Amino acid sequence: MKLHYYPGCTLKEKAVALDISTREAMKRLDVELVEPEGWTCCGAEYPLTEEKIVGLAAPIRVLRQVRDEGGEVLVTTCSFCFAVLKRANKALRDDPLKRKRINAFLRDDIQIDPLTKARTTDFEDYNGEVQVLHLLEYLRDRVGTPKIKSRLKRDLKGLAVAPYYGCRLLRPQEEMAFDEPDAPRVFEDFLEAVGCSAVDYAFKQECCGSYLSVSLPDAATEASYRVLRAAQMEGARAVTVTCPLCFYNMDSRQAAIKEKFLDFSGLPVLYFTQILAWALGVDREVLGLGEHAVPADSLFEEVPTTEVRT
Amino acid sequence: MRVKLKAGPEQRTFIDRIEELSGENVFACYQCGRCSAGCPMASEMDLLPNQIIRLVQMGLLEDVLRSKTLFLCASCFTCESRCPKGIDMARVMEAVRHILDPKGKDAFGPGEISPELAKELPQQVMVALCRKFAK
Repeated sequence: MKLHYYPGCTLKEKAVALDISTREAMKRLDVELVEPEGWTCCGAEYPLTEEKIVGLAAPIRVLRQVRDEGGEVLVTTCSFCFAVLKRANKALRDDPLKRKRINAFLRDDIQIDPLTKARTTDFEDYNGEVQVLHLLEYLRDRVGTPKIKSRLKRDLKGLAVAPYYGCRLLRPQEEMAFDEPDAPRVFEDFLEAVGCSAVDYAFKQECCGSYLSVSLPDAATEASYRVLRAAQMEGARAVTVTCPLCFYNMDSRQAAIKEKFLDFSGLPVLYFTQILAWALGVDREVLGLGEHAVPADSLFEEVPTTEVRT
Repeated sequence: MRVKLKAGPEQRTFIDRIEELSGENVFACYQCGRCSAGCPMASEMDLLPNQIIRLVQMGLLEDVLRSKTLFLCASCFTCESRCPKGIDMARVMEAVRHILDPKGKDAFGPGEISPELAKELPQQVMVALCRKFAK
């Protein structure tokens, strides 16, 4: 089965592990991921003021391309892409004025095929026809837990993993409609489906510091510490994320965290698709574990280290 | 804090402009403080989110535009999810950033990311940050 998949900029560069593990895992669930032709950046931030409407052009161009290729669903893994695409899509569905303005702007598009040099103009107006889903939603609603369970190749033996939602997946609830913002379940259900045990902790939907990690690194260090520490206190052996920026803040920043907070001893951070791919039988070498600043290899031993430990 | 209130056309224009840009009714706020209680960046702020909205209600333009809080908001929408009056505070913050002097210096622009750091950062954070904080 073919499924449209939008990786986004970071997955082609700094978060290759997320991209590769997504592809490998979905292959084992009989889903072939197809990228929309000539996709561009989604813009990373949904424009929050009425006058920055031009920020909707990039995500809508991607969605229009998916529709023109016959796609009904677009799946993403990065939380930032998911939020921008989903909110832009909803804005065009709900707001006739935005629909008119963005379509008027995009009507001048000319697309040139890189191989045949054929020019495409006269794009049809986009009215929000595509459905934007996060891979977690797709796994829950379209693939289903029974199918995932039937394809599992490795027993993760209830490895204690803390799901980290962060900011973009859940809020604003009215627009994201992803899960209950203060008591989400979708990530926990996913972890339990693949054989982990989901750790419940207080900071799973708190912010990791997001883009402030560049303009104000100390604030992001502290925010990430709060999340990691809370997860560790509840017995988590790893934290799992969907977003490359959450990953960067919680993984690369751990050296700074340890320096500042002496009670913190390090905790591996994983993409949720790495866990899925591993459980489905993908080789360890393919999971992109070399990208991690905090080594996570011990979690992927054929014989889980929990058996060796007392 | 003692503040001198003015109720001239300048204040009215400021309030109207914030409401127009954000699409939020700032006068719906009754200062319960839940936005500030849940804000992950509150400890770094000179003015808390609920204080920002109060100052907007009073039309105290200069105090709002001077605050470093504007560039501490990570748009994580925790305040939005908790506001009992349904105000999206992240939109109010963005509206205030929008009306900052267009000729003024960027709070954070691409030039401030060193080549070494750029090699290490995920692409999305550079796009997101510049979209938020550069004009």
